[in-house]
Amino acid sequence: MIIQMAWRNIWRNKARSIIIMISIAIGLFAGVAVLSLYKGMMKSRIATVVNAEIGHLQIHDTNFKKDYEPEFFIADSQYVHGIIKKLPEVKVSAVRSIANGMLATPTGSTGVKINGVVPEQEYQVSQLKQKIKEGKEFDPGKKNEILIGKKLADKMKLKLGSKLVLTLTDTASEIVSGAFKIAAIYQSDNAPLDERNVYIEIDELNDLLGTPHRFHEIAIVLKQDKYLDEVRGHLQKQLPEYQVETWIDISPEMNLMVKTTDQYSYIIIIIIMIALAFGIINTMLMAILERTREIGMMVALGTSRLRVFVLILFETFFLTLGGVPVGILSAWGAIQYFQKNGLDLSSDSEEMMRSFGFSTMIYPEFPAEQLAGVLFIVVGTALVSCLFPAIKALRLKPVEALRR
Amino acid sequence: MEKSKAIIDAHNVSKIYNPETIPVYAVNNVHLHIDEGEFTALVGPSGSGKTTLLNLIGGLDKTDSGNIYINGIDITRLSAGELINFRLMNIGFVFQSFNLIPVLTARENVEFIMLLQGTDKKARQQRVQQLFREIGLEDKIDSRPAQLSGGQQQRVAVARALASKPRFVLADEPTANLDSKSAANLLDVMELLNREEKMTFLFSTHDQRVIERARRVITLVDGAIASDVSATPVLQTTER
Repeated sequence: MIIQMAWRNIWRNKARSIIIMISIAIGLFAGVAVLSLYKGMMKSRIATVVNAEIGHLQIHDTNFKKDYEPEFFIADSQYVHGIIKKLPEVKVSAVRSIANGMLATPTGSTGVKINGVVPEQEYQVSQLKQKIKEGKEFDPGKKNEILIGKKLADKMKLKLGSKLVLTLTDTASEIVSGAFKIAAIYQSDNAPLDERNVYIEIDELNDLLGTPHRFHEIAIVLKQDKYLDEVRGHLQKQLPEYQVETWIDISPEMNLMVKTTDQYSYIIIIIIMIALAFGIINTMLMAILERTREIGMMVALGTSRLRVFVLILFETFFLTLGGVPVGILSAWGAIQYFQKNGLDLSSDSEEMMRSFGFSTMIYPEFPAEQLAGVLFIVVGTALVSCLFPAIKALRLKPVEALRR
Repeated sequence: MEKSKAIIDAHNVSKIYNPETIPVYAVNNVHLHIDEGEFTALVGPSGSGKTTLLNLIGGLDKTDSGNIYINGIDITRLSAGELINFRLMNIGFVFQSFNLIPVLTARENVEFIMLLQGTDKKARQQRVQQLFREIGLEDKIDSRPAQLSGGQQQRVAVARALASKPRFVLADEPTANLDSKSAANLLDVMELLNREEKMTFLFSTHDQRVIERARRVITLVDGAIASDVSATPVLQTTER
């Protein structure tokens, strides 16, 4: 009967109960929305890292990444590439020659990372072709073409067709340089990378470096993320003289970001819940103050304080129960919509988002695996919030309560 | 000392408000002895201590001095938790302002106490039917308090007080908010239950209609018993 009473009690003041249920629903909606937004952002960022920047795995000479010295190329290039191509888990791979150098124009110069690429491979691994905003991809009939990022073009005031000089150190430690013409300007979701990376054809870079038919890096994209550790382990075993790294090894800050984002989102949820808690405390306190006499009468008749406590606990639980499905369903509906259509943040924060490597189009994802945690926080908040009003009710002396 | 034959036995009971500033003796050194089956009115002007004395006897308030024995048990020595259980098992209450639980039907209000006592469903149903027959509200058994008149609510409150088969019923101004007809009906019910179930009633009142039907009238003045008049079986008067 206590449960029955609790259920009926919450409908004594319909407007107030509905308001608190809506508050709980909004709190839950906000919590789930925050998680789904972060999940979508992180998933998109990881996808960008894997599919447009690093790939799932990269292979280098073990010394290459210490100083990016050009002589540390992958010696058995055909053998290594052959092993990779045989793996059924590998979707695509691309070889790259890499050098750090100086990009100079008549008006200034800046340090860049020069990526010598095999265009058809690179288009698949880093989606370089899809990132082109102005101009066209490498033309096999033309020489000395270069693709630069929009951020770099803006910084160096370069346009399509502008000429520039790349200067670098070759394997003999000689300074060499080559003139290039901008064939295309690309833009990715990661402005700092756009500012730093330029792309030329691999043979042209190898000619400058004096390392014909060599490469320094193999980037691999797998068919599925789940193969990451398995393929890494296999390749490392097969190629013990080379360094096989996952995107997590190469970009540990990304992995850290993914992990800390979960924590940040829970902190945000807890802040939302604290606000919600005050709403619940207020409502339950009002409900109890209004019923002081009634609660006093119940205790006078012989209702134990534990039963009164349970009554209030159930009332709060029912209010929460009313708000939870509404919150989850509305969040689910909104997330479904934005997952399909995307949430475009380009008008407000394009610059900021790109500077951190995030796409301005976010596709939130329902955080099903975190839902239990959010529900626990919401229900826990509601129940903890009712403790203060419940204790207040328990402290009521029947003789004083009955006088009211 | 022989105490066990009385249902209520109060000795030197006092209740003082503001004991450290300006002490007010709400109940002042009261001795009271009530036997089974009595139908007693506690009368007196407003502020004379009627409700306070009922609260003390009902274990709703703590005495400042003295002892109250209910069926031989000194309730002044019970803890708050023990008192709640003691009230549940031994005392029926009827309050001035009806005080039914508004979200429960009349039946559920009466059944509530028996549920707290752990009475089984069949026994509860039988008792509820019997009580509603006795209070003459069988047709209102599934009505919510808001759908009942003041008199009907108070009759349900009496049924609730009796549902647990208590040792006695304490009623604080039970007719205060009732019209003449409802008050008369309620008194009929209480008298019937007193007669049929041998239920002991102790009620505070300054309603002359109630006083006229009481078989014993105790008058309180300034917290002390000023007179104790018994009408049955032989009129006895003790002036103090």
